[in-house]
Amino acid sequence: MKVKVANIGKRRSKELKKSKKSSSPEEEEATPRSIEPSSFSSSEDEIAPRNTIGDVPLEWYADEEHIGYDIAGKKIKKQPRKDRLDTYLAGVDDSKNWRKIYDEYNDEEVELTKSESKIIRRLLKGKTPHADFDPYAPYVDWFTWEDKKFPLSNAPEPKRRFIPSKWEHKKVVQYIRAIRKGLIKFDQPKEESGPYLLWGDSSSTDKDRIGLSYIPAPKPKIAGHEESYNPSVEYIPTQEEINSYQLMFEEDRPKFIPKRFESLRSVPAYEKALKEGFERCLDLYLCPRTRKKRINIDPESLKPKLPSRKDLKPYPIICYLDYKGHTGPVVSISVSVTGQWIASGSKDGTVRIWEVETGRCLRVWEVDEAVQHVSWNPVPELPILAVCVGQDLLLLNTGLGNAEEQSRMTELLNVKESPPVDDSGLNTSIVRWSQHEKHEGIRLKHTKSVSKVEWHRKGDYFTTVVPDTRAILIHQLSKKLTQNPFKKLHGLPVSAVFHPTRSIFFIATKKNVRVYDLLKQKLIKKLEAGVREISSIAIHPAGDNVIVGSREGKICWFDMDLSSQPYKILNCHPKDVTNVAFHRSYPLFASSSEDCSAYVFHGMVYSDLNQNPLIVPLEILRGHSSTKSGG
Amino acid sequence: MPKHYRPPGKKKEGNAAKYITRTKAVHYLQVNLSTFRRLCILKGVFPRDPKKKVEGNHKTYYHMKDIMFLAHEQLLEKFRGIRAYERKVKKAKAKKNRELAQRLLSRKPSYTLDHLIKERYPKFIDALRDLDDCLTMVHLFAALPAVESEKIQVKRIHNCRRLSHEWQAYISRTHSLRKTFISVKGIYYQAEVEGQKITWLTPHALQQVLTDDVDFNVMLTFLEFYETLLGFVNFQLYHSIKVKYPPVLDPRLEALAAELYALTRYVSSNSGTQSSETQIASSNGPEQIEAGKVNTKSDESDLRLAQLQHQLPSNEPGALMHLIEDAAAEDDDDKDTKECKTLFKNLKFFFSREVPRESLLFIIPAFGGAVSWEGDGSPFNESDEGITHQIVDRPTQGHMFLSREYVQPQWVFDCVNARIILPTEGYLVGRVPPPHLSPFVDNEAEGYIPEYAETIKRLQAAARKEVLPMPGADGENLDDPRSLLAEGIIDRTQAIEAAEKKKQMSILEKQYHDELEMELKGIPYSASISNKNSQNSAEDAEPKEEAIVDADQIENDARNLSKSVMSREKRKLYEAMQIGKDRKKAKVNLLKERKKKAKEGNKHK
Repeated sequence: MKVKVANIGKRRSKELKKSKKSSSPEEEEATPRSIEPSSFSSSEDEIAPRNTIGDVPLEWYADEEHIGYDIAGKKIKKQPRKDRLDTYLAGVDDSKNWRKIYDEYNDEEVELTKSESKIIRRLLKGKTPHADFDPYAPYVDWFTWEDKKFPLSNAPEPKRRFIPSKWEHKKVVQYIRAIRKGLIKFDQPKEESGPYLLWGDSSSTDKDRIGLSYIPAPKPKIAGHEESYNPSVEYIPTQEEINSYQLMFEEDRPKFIPKRFESLRSVPAYEKALKEGFERCLDLYLCPRTRKKRINIDPESLKPKLPSRKDLKPYPIICYLDYKGHTGPVVSISVSVTGQWIASGSKDGTVRIWEVETGRCLRVWEVDEAVQHVSWNPVPELPILAVCVGQDLLLLNTGLGNAEEQSRMTELLNVKESPPVDDSGLNTSIVRWSQHEKHEGIRLKHTKSVSKVEWHRKGDYFTTVVPDTRAILIHQLSKKLTQNPFKKLHGLPVSAVFHPTRSIFFIATKKNVRVYDLLKQKLIKKLEAGVREISSIAIHPAGDNVIVGSREGKICWFDMDLSSQPYKILNCHPKDVTNVAFHRSYPLFASSSEDCSAYVFHGMVYSDLNQNPLIVPLEILRGHSSTKSGG
Repeated sequence: MPKHYRPPGKKKEGNAAKYITRTKAVHYLQVNLSTFRRLCILKGVFPRDPKKKVEGNHKTYYHMKDIMFLAHEQLLEKFRGIRAYERKVKKAKAKKNRELAQRLLSRKPSYTLDHLIKERYPKFIDALRDLDDCLTMVHLFAALPAVESEKIQVKRIHNCRRLSHEWQAYISRTHSLRKTFISVKGIYYQAEVEGQKITWLTPHALQQVLTDDVDFNVMLTFLEFYETLLGFVNFQLYHSIKVKYPPVLDPRLEALAAELYALTRYVSSNSGTQSSETQIASSNGPEQIEAGKVNTKSDESDLRLAQLQHQLPSNEPGALMHLIEDAAAEDDDDKDTKECKTLFKNLKFFFSREVPRESLLFIIPAFGGAVSWEGDGSPFNESDEGITHQIVDRPTQGHMFLSREYVQPQWVFDCVNARIILPTEGYLVGRVPPPHLSPFVDNEAEGYIPEYAETIKRLQAAARKEVLPMPGADGENLDDPRSLLAEGIIDRTQAIEAAEKKKQMSILEKQYHDELEMELKGIPYSASISNKNSQNSAEDAEPKEEAIVDADQIENDARNLSKSVMSREKRKLYEAMQIGKDRKKAKVNLLKERKKKAKEGNKHK
C-alpha cells in the first residue's frame, strides 16, 4: 500500500514538472488533480489497477498500443486518446468536465468527487488536508506532579549555573595567548606546491652538474619503416620467413614482425606497450653505462696510403708462359744466374730444365723419388744443378755452357772417385760422396732425407739441411768435403742460407733465425720472428734485409740493422707460406702459399740508413693447385 | 694467499677502492633494497663498468662517489622519517587508537623532488635533452586505466593526462612539431624545442593491455620523477611564451574531454604578444564569441553533468588543443618553424567521430590548420561551408559535401612528414592508403629507398618548382658519373672486360705454346690443327665461365691487397666494419627480393 502511495507521489511530481513547461492554463489547472482518486478510496482494494506493467517508465510504452497484459495473457489495449479539439469541446459541453482528469498510468479518465477537490484545494493553500484537524492544539502535560510525595529534585539551582566559569575563562585566555604567540597552529588546508620557475630566465649563471660525470642513457631505437602500421609490401616477411624464425636461436629471432593494417581504425592497442616501457625503465637504472667511442669513419680510410702501383712497375702482372711437362706437382724451381734457364723439381720424380723465354724443355732427369728442392750454382761458369731427392743430394751436370766450361765441370764432378778413402774421418757416417750411376754427376748419400740445398755465392760450398737428424751440413765441392759445424741446434732446422755478399750464414729453425759469422765461427744475431712455425727464408741481394715466411701465412720482414724483431709482419695468406724469394735486381719480393696464390710485393731498400724500407703489395698471382717458388 | 691480497694496514687502491657492489652499497647506506632502488632512480645514479671487476664478473658495480652522493641526499633522511612515521600509524591502528591513527594519517610527512631536478639538470637545456623517456612514460600512463591494486591512482593518471596535454599545447602553439609517424606501437612525434630534437611515443588511444610481468613500483617511481620534471619544464616553457601556468581551463571543454582544445584556447588568449596577434584574434573572434554564447546557454544541470563526466577517467582525446592560434609571427622564428606554421594554413578540417581525435587535434593546429570535430563543444559544425577536408576512417561515407575532400587520417601524417600538401587521391575514403613510411629513416644511408618515398620526393621537388629526372631514367643513365651505383656497375663491367681480354690473350698464348711444343715433338703443323680445333672448342666454353669468376677474384684481390699491410688492430676493425656493411647489404637485398616477388605476384594476378 505504502509503495503505491509513494509511486503516486513520484508521478505527481513528474507531472508537475511537465505541466510547468506546458503553457496552456487549462492543463495547469488540471495538474494538481492528477492524484489518483482510487488510491484514497476505500474500494481500492477490490479494484486492481488496470495497468500491469509495474513500476517502469511509461514512455517505454509510448509507441505501443497496449499497456501491459491481463491475467489471461491478452494485451490490455490503450483507449484512444482525445485530441485537443475533443477536450476543448468536452470542456464547452460539460461544465463538470474540469473534474475529469486523465490517469496516464491506468489509461483512464477519472472524475474527482467534490470532497477530493476540496482536499486538493486545501493542500495547494498549504493547509492540512482535513479541515477538522487542528495543528495548534494546546499541550497536555500528562505527568502529574500533584500526588507525588517528593519532588524529583529539591536542590536549589546552584550559583555556578548562572555565572561564567573562571576556569574556562583561564583556559580561553591561555589558548588565545598561545594562538597569538603562534604556539597553536591550525590545520591549514595543505598547499600543493606546484611547479615554479626552477631554472630562472637566464641559464648562463647556472652551475655545472655536481657529482661524477653524467653519461646520458642512449636513446631508444627509433621506429623504422617496418614498424609502420601500413608498411610497404617489401617490409612484410612471407609466411615461410616467419616460420623460419621459429628455427632461429631465440636471441637472434626478430622481436618485431611487421604487419599491415588496412586502415588506422583496425590497429589494435599494442600489447607490449607497458612491457617495453618497463624494460626501458630497467635499462635506465640497472644497466651499467660506459662511454664508448663510436668510430664513424669510412672503412676505406683505415687502409694505409700506398704509392700508386703504376709507379712501381715493372712487376709481374699476368701469366706469360706455362711450362708444361711435369705430371706431378712442382715442388721447387730455381733460375740460373744467367736467367736463361729454369730448373724445376717435381713430386713425379723428374727434374727438368726449361728455357725461360721459349718454354722449351731442355732436359729431363728421371730421379726415382720425389724431388724436394733444386738449386743452381750461382757461378755462371759452372751450370751445376743441386737436387735434393729423398736421402740423396744430386749434383747434376746440366750440359750447358761452352766446351771449356763443360770440361771444367766434368772434371769437377768427376774427381771424386775415391770417396771412402777421403771420408774416413768424422763425416763418413753422415754423408757418402759417390758418382751417380745413371746421370753424370755426384751423389751425396745422407743418412736421412734432405730437405733443402743452398749454394754459397762462390759456387764451391753448398749446404744441405737434414731436418730429421737436426743437422746442417756444409759441403765443399772442390775438395769433396763435408762438415757438420753445428753440433747442437736449438730447434728443428728448416732452412739454411748463405749471405749473398759476406761470409755470414743464416739458419732458420722453426722458432727463430740464427745468424752466424762463418769466419769467426760465432753467433751474431738471433732474429725472433714471433710466428708459430717458420717455413722459408730469403735474403735480400744487398744482404741487410731478410724475409721469413711462416706456416700461419705470415711474412716477416727483418731489417738486420734495425733490430732482431721484425720490421713488418704481413699477414696475407690464409694458408701456409711455402716459399719466399727476392728478385735479384728489381726491388721485388714474392711469397707463395698453399692457397694456390703468390703475392708480389714491392720491397724497396734505401741506401740511406735512416729511411725504412718501403713495402707495397702489388699483385696477387693465382696459379694452379701446385706450389712454386720464383724470383 | 688470496687472489687479491692486501697486507694489513694498507688501504684499498684502484678499482677495489673506487667501485662497490650493489649489496655492499645497500649495507653501506643502511637502507633496504627497494629504498635504494628508489633513491637511484630519483637521483639518476646508475651502475658503472669498472675496468677490473674485483668482486666478480656477474655483479653490479656502483662508483663509490655515486654512493657517497646518495648518502648525502636529504631524501634519504626523509625516507627514513616516513618509514618511522608509518610505523607509528601502524602501532596506533594495532592499539585500536583510531583517532590517533586518523590524525597521524592526516599530517603525513611528504617530500618534494625539485632540488633533484635542479641538481640533475642544472640547465634547462639539459632537461630538454633528457625529455624523451619522460614524455613517453607520461603519455603511456595517461592512456592507462587506474588500477587500485597496483597503486596506480586516478589522481596520477589525471595528472599525466594534464601534463601531456599541456606539453602538446605548447608544442602545437609554438609550431615546433616536426615529424610524426603512426607505428604499430603507437604514434611517434618529434618536436624541436630550443634546438633539441625531442621524440616521444604515445600509445594508440585504446584500452591498454595490462600485463602482470611488470613491476609497477619501479615504473611509478620513474613516473614520480618524470611528472615533476615535466611540470617544471612545462612551467618554463609556458613562461617563455608568457602564459600563466598552470593554465585555468574552461570547465565545460574540460568536461567534454576536449582539454587540449581548451588549453590551446587558453594559451592563445593569454599569450603576451597580443599586439602582434591582432590578426589572428580577428580571425579567431567569431569562433570565440560563438563558444561564449554556447557557454551562457548551457544551464546548471548540464554543467553538473559535465563535472560528473569529468570525474570519470575519460578515454577521449585531449581537449587542450585549441590553444594554438598562430603565435605572432615573431622575427626569430626560424625557417623550419615558418614552414610548419603555414603548412595547413587556410585549411579547415573536420574529424568524424571514428578518427583518433586527440592526435589530430594536436598535429593540425601545430601546422596552422583549423579543426573541429563531431561532438559537443566543437568550434564549428560539419555543415560549415569553409571546411576543406573532412577526415574520415570508415569504409564508405554516406552523405558527402562536394566542397570538401574526404581523406583518411594517414594523409595528415604524410603531409606533415613531407611538408607539402599531398594529392588526396590515394587517401580517399574506402581506399587502401599508400604505405606509411617512417620519417626517421635516412633512406640514402640505409641504402634502400621505398617506392613511395621516391614519389614523395618528386612531389616535393615539384612543389619547389624543380625538375627531377623521371623514375625510369635512373636505370638507363648508366654512364651518369654522378650516380654512385652506376659507377659501381661500370667498374664491374670494366673489370669483366679486362678479364676477358686477358683470358683471350692467354688462350692465344697457349695456342702458340702448344704449337711450339708440337713443333718440338716434330708433329707436322697441318696434322696438329685438326687435333687442336676439337680440343679448343671444348676448352673455349670453359674459360668463358671462368672469366667472370676471375673478374670477381681480381676485384677481390685489389681490395685485399692493402689489407695485408695493415696492422692487426686496424685489420680487425676493418673486418668488423665489413661484417656490418655486409649485414646491411643483405637486409637491403632481402627487401629488394621481396619487392620483386610482390611485383611478380601482382602481375600474375
